[in-house]
Amino acid sequence: MSHTTRRLRYVVKRLLQAVPIIFAILVMNFFLLQLAEGDAVDVLAGEAGSATPEYMAELRAKFGLDQPLPVQLARYLWNVVQFDLGYSFRHEMPVSELIFDRMVPTLLLMISTITLAVGFGILLGLIAATGLNTWRDTAISIFALITYATPLFWVGLMLIVVFSLNLGWFPTSGMENLTAFYEGWDRVWDIARHLVLPTITLSLFYLALYTRLMRASMLEQYGQDYVTTARAKGVTERRIVFVHVLRNALLPVVTMAGVQVGALIGGSVIVESVFAWPGLGMLAFEALFARDLNLLLGIFLLSALLVVAVNLVVDIIYSTLDPRIEVA
Amino acid sequence: MGEFWHRFARNRQALFGLGILGCVILLAAIAPLVYPADPFSLAGQSMSPPGENGFLLGSDSLGRDVAAGIAHGAKTSLMIGLVATLVAVLIGVIMGALAGYYGGWIDDLLMRTTEMFQTIPSFVFAILLVAIMKPSIESVVIAIAVVSWPAVARLVRGEFLSLRNREFVQACHTVGMSDIRIMLGEILPNCLSPIIVIGSLMVATAILIESGLAFLGLGDPNVMSWGFQIGAGRTLLRSAWWVCTFPGIAILLTVLAINLVGEGLNDALNPRLRERAG
Amino acid sequence: MRLKHLATALACAAAMALSGTAALAQKAGGTVVYIVQPEPPSMASYLSTSGPIGLVAPKIYEGLLDYDKDLNIIPSLAKSFEVSEDGKTVTFNLQEGVTWHDGKPFTSADVQYTVMEVLKKVHPRGPNSFREVTSIDTPDPLTAVFNLENPAPYMLRALSGYESPIVPRHLLEGQDPRNADLANNPVGTGPFKFVEWKKGQFVRLDKNENYWREGLPYLDRLVGRFIPDASTRTAAMENGEVMYGAFGAIPNIDAVRLRDTDGFSVTTNGYAMINPMSLIEFDTTEPPFDNPAVRKAISLALDRQFLIDNIWFGYGKPATSALSSNFAATGLYKEGLPNYVANADIEAAKSLLDSAGITADADGVRAKAVLDLIPYGEDWRRAGEYMKQALAPIGIDLELRYEDVPTWLKRVYHNYDFAMNVNYFYQLPDPVLGVHRHYGTDQIRQGTHFVNSTRYSNPKLDELLSAGAQEADATKRAEIYGEIQGILANDMPVVNLFEMEFLTVYNDKFKDHDKSALGSYGSFAEAWLDE
Repeated sequence: MSHTTRRLRYVVKRLLQAVPIIFAILVMNFFLLQLAEGDAVDVLAGEAGSATPEYMAELRAKFGLDQPLPVQLARYLWNVVQFDLGYSFRHEMPVSELIFDRMVPTLLLMISTITLAVGFGILLGLIAATGLNTWRDTAISIFALITYATPLFWVGLMLIVVFSLNLGWFPTSGMENLTAFYEGWDRVWDIARHLVLPTITLSLFYLALYTRLMRASMLEQYGQDYVTTARAKGVTERRIVFVHVLRNALLPVVTMAGVQVGALIGGSVIVESVFAWPGLGMLAFEALFARDLNLLLGIFLLSALLVVAVNLVVDIIYSTLDPRIEVA
Repeated sequence: MGEFWHRFARNRQALFGLGILGCVILLAAIAPLVYPADPFSLAGQSMSPPGENGFLLGSDSLGRDVAAGIAHGAKTSLMIGLVATLVAVLIGVIMGALAGYYGGWIDDLLMRTTEMFQTIPSFVFAILLVAIMKPSIESVVIAIAVVSWPAVARLVRGEFLSLRNREFVQACHTVGMSDIRIMLGEILPNCLSPIIVIGSLMVATAILIESGLAFLGLGDPNVMSWGFQIGAGRTLLRSAWWVCTFPGIAILLTVLAINLVGEGLNDALNPRLRERAG
Repeated sequence: MRLKHLATALACAAAMALSGTAALAQKAGGTVVYIVQPEPPSMASYLSTSGPIGLVAPKIYEGLLDYDKDLNIIPSLAKSFEVSEDGKTVTFNLQEGVTWHDGKPFTSADVQYTVMEVLKKVHPRGPNSFREVTSIDTPDPLTAVFNLENPAPYMLRALSGYESPIVPRHLLEGQDPRNADLANNPVGTGPFKFVEWKKGQFVRLDKNENYWREGLPYLDRLVGRFIPDASTRTAAMENGEVMYGAFGAIPNIDAVRLRDTDGFSVTTNGYAMINPMSLIEFDTTEPPFDNPAVRKAISLALDRQFLIDNIWFGYGKPATSALSSNFAATGLYKEGLPNYVANADIEAAKSLLDSAGITADADGVRAKAVLDLIPYGEDWRRAGEYMKQALAPIGIDLELRYEDVPTWLKRVYHNYDFAMNVNYFYQLPDPVLGVHRHYGTDQIRQGTHFVNSTRYSNPKLDELLSAGAQEADATKRAEIYGEIQGILANDMPVVNLFEMEFLTVYNDKFKDHDKSALGSYGSFAEAWLDE
C-alpha cells in the first residue's frame, strides 16, 4: 500500500470516528438545554413587552416547540444529516447563514491569536530554556504567569484605556470603522487595526501555556541521548539547539495549538464581549440566553467539526515533523 | 518525603509561591476574626479611596469594605478551586483508570466520552451549565469540574496504560489480587505525582474560570468571592479603580502562587528533568 | 369644541415648525454612529415593543402623530385630525405625496390595514390602545376615519412611530404579519431607509432622499452599533466612535464623569412618554407578603434616596405614589400619600410589624424570603444586595436570586413561583396604558408577561380603574385616580420604589436629536451633525 493511500485511509477513519462524537454532543446539549427553564418564545414574548398565552402557543407551534422532545430531536438530527443546520426563529434566518457570517471574524481572531501566542511562546520558551535557572528564565516564567493570571477583561479594558483613549493608536472596539465603510485595501487595513487589541489580550492569556510548554519540551529534549552524542562529537551548542533540539521540541507545542483551537472558540467570549468583536463565542452566549436552540447546537456542531479537523491536520503535520511517528 | 522537600525547597520560586499561598490560606482562616461583619454590609461612605474613611483598600459603590470582601472572598475562591479540582480529579481518575486498566471497548467508550467533552468549547459549556443550574456556588463548582476532568482522564489513562503491564502488576495478578485493589493500591500510587501537578494547576484555572463567570454575571449573588467583587466593580474601573483592582491582584497573586507551587512540585517529583538539563 | 381647537393649533404648530427649520443653521450631511444595546431580535416594531427595536425602527417607520418635548401633539403622517362631539369618531387627514421606501404611495388603506390587521392583532400593546376601535373607513386615499365603541382619549397618546408604526399594506397583505420578510427588511415612510444589518456589529440606515418633509433629514446616514460591554461603550463614546447612547447604554457612573467632560452632555429628556417606575412585586397570596403590613413595612424600611444616590448616581426621584409624579401635568397624580418615604424609617417599619403581630424569633428574624432580581443589568443586582442589607434590621431575612431572562420570566409570570421580585415598568403617557395592568383583577393573566403577577384583586379598585379609563372630564378623572392611589398606598400590592430617570449621553457635535418627546425612540429627522 502506498504512503498516500495509507494516509487517506487514516483521514477517513478519523473522520468516521468523529461522527458519533459529534452526534453525542448534539444529543447531550439538546437535552441539557431542555432542562433550562423557558424557551425561545418566552424570551421573544418577554422582550416584546406583553403577549398572551394563546399568541405564545401559536408561536411555539410555528417553531415546532410544541412537538414531543424525541420528535424535535429526530427532526433536528435528520436536518443535520442533510447538512441543514435549521432555522433561528429569533433571528429569522437560517442558522448556517448566521454562523458563516461570524466565521470570518472568529477565524481572524483565532488565527492571529494562535500565531502570536505560539510565536512568542516558542521564542520565550527557547530563551528561558537556553538560560535555564538564570534571571532570564525566572523573568520569563514570572512574566508568562502574570499575563496568564490577570483577568482577561481587566487586561482588555486597560489596553483600551491606554492604547485607544490615551494614545489614540487603535480603535476601542468593533471590527470596522462604521463612519467610513472602507472598501478594498483600506478595509483590510482598517480591520487589521481593529484586530490588534483583542488579539493581544487573548494571546497574553495563552502565551504562558506555550512558553511553559516550549521550555519544558526543550529541557526534555536536552536530556535525550542524541544531544549527549552530539555534544560528545563536538557539535556546537548553537547547532544543537537550532538544528536538533528545536525541531523535536516543537512537536508538543504544535499538538497543544491544535487542542487550543477548540477552547478558543468558547474562551474568547469575554474578549469578544469587551471588544465588541463579532465572533462565535458571543453568538453562542446570546443564543443560550435567548434559548435559540438551533443556533446554539449549530455553533457546537461547527466548533466540534473544527476541532476534529484541526486535530487531524495537526496529526498530519506531526508525522511530517517527526517521520518516526507513523499514521496508522 | 524528606528528599522531596529538600528538592522542593531548593526551588526559590516554588518557596515564594508557597509563601503567598500560605498567606492567602491564613487570610481566609482569620477573615471572620478580622472582619467579623458580613462582607456585604454597608460599612460606610461609598467609593472611599484606599486608606480613607477607615477603609484599608477603599469601599465600593454601596460603601462595602473591599478589604473585608477580599478576606472573606479568599475562602470562597480557594474553596471553589479546591472542590472543583477534587471533583474533576475524582471523575478523571475513575474514567482514566478504568479506560487504561481494562482497555478494549471500555477504553473506547470512555475515551470517546472524554473526547466529546474536549470537543465542546469549554467556557461556553461552563456558562451553559451554570445557566441551566441557576447561578450558585454549587453550580459554579460543578460546571468547572465538568469542563476540567477530561485532561485528568487522559493523563491517568496514559499512566495506567504504561503501568498495567509492568512486572509488579503482573505479580499482583498471579497472587489473585482483585482489580480494584490493583488499581487503587498498586497502580494509582505510582501515578500520583503527575496527578498532583495537574491538580494544582487546575485549582488556579478554576479560580480564573470563576472570575470569568462572575464577570458575565453568573456568580452566586449571596456569597462573597473575588469574582463577585470584580463583576460588581468592573463598571467602576474608571472612577474607582480600587474596587476591582485589588480583588484582581488577589486573583493574580493566588493563581501565580499556585502555579509556582505546581511547577515546584513538578520539578521535585520529576527530578530527572532539571538534573539532566543542568 | 375643545378638540377642534387642538386640531387647529396643531396645524399652526406645523407651520411654525416648518418656518423655524429654515431660520436655524442646521448643517446637512454626515454619519452618526449611535449605540443600540442589546442587539434587537428583529426590526418588527409592529410585533414587539422590545427596547432596542425602538432605537432603530422609528427612524424607518412613522406614526400618525408625534409629540413634542412638552408632550404636545404634533403632526406626522396625519397632518391634522378631528374628534367628533361624542368622542366616538376620530378623523385623520393624511399628508400628501408620502411614499414608502420602495416607491409605492402611502394611503389611508395602509392606515386601515395597519391598525385593524396588524396593531390590533399582533402588537403587544395594540389590542389595549385600539380596543375601542371597531372599524376604520377610508373615504379617500388621504382620509382615515376611526370608528370607536366608546370614547378613548388615551388613544391619541399612543400614535407615535414607536408605539403604533404604520406599515406598508402591500408588503404584508396575504401573509401572517408575524412571519413576514418585512421583519428583517423594514420598508417605511420615515426619514431613513434600511440598508444593511450585519449581525453582531451594526445596522445601517441611509437618508431617505424622497422624504415627504422638505429638506429633511439632515444626516446622510445613521449607524446603530452593538457593543455588549458597558465599559467599552463608554470608551467608544469618549473616543468619538459613537455619538449617542440612550437608555443607560453608558452606565450612570460613567455618564456622571462624561457630564463633566468637555464635548459630552447628559440629558434625562426623551423619556416622558415611557415614564419608567421601579418597584417590588409581591406574591400577595402567601405568607409573609399576603399581609399588607409587611409590604408597607418594606416600603418604609427602604431608603429610596440611597438607591438613587449610590446605584443610579443621583438620577431618579423617590416614588410617592403608585403613579409617577410626571402625571401631575395631567392632574392625575396625588400628593401626600402615606407609606412612601424617601429616607428609611426603620422604627416606623418595626412598629408597623409589631402592631400587625409579626414578631421576631430568637435571631431577630420575622420573615424569610427569596428576592428575585430583574436580569436586566448589574444595577439591579446592587439594588438587591442593598435591600438584603436594608431589610435585615426590621427582621426580614432575604436570599437573593439572579437568573437569566427566560428563567425569570417563567418563574414570575408563568409559574408564580416567587415571593418578592424587583422589577420596573413603563407607566407610559396614560395610566390606562401602563399602570392598570398591575392592579386590575382582569390583569391576573397567568402566562402573560408584565401584568398583575401579585394577584392582588380588589373589586372596589377594579370599578375605579374602569371608570378612570372612560372618564373624559379631567377633574372627575383626577378624583377617580386620587382614590385609586389612596387605595394602593394602603394596600401596597406593589411597593413603588422610584421614578427612574434614564440617561442619554451624547457627543455635543450631535444636535437636535431630542426634538421629540420620544427621545431616542424618535425619528432623528431633524437631528444634525455639527462638524
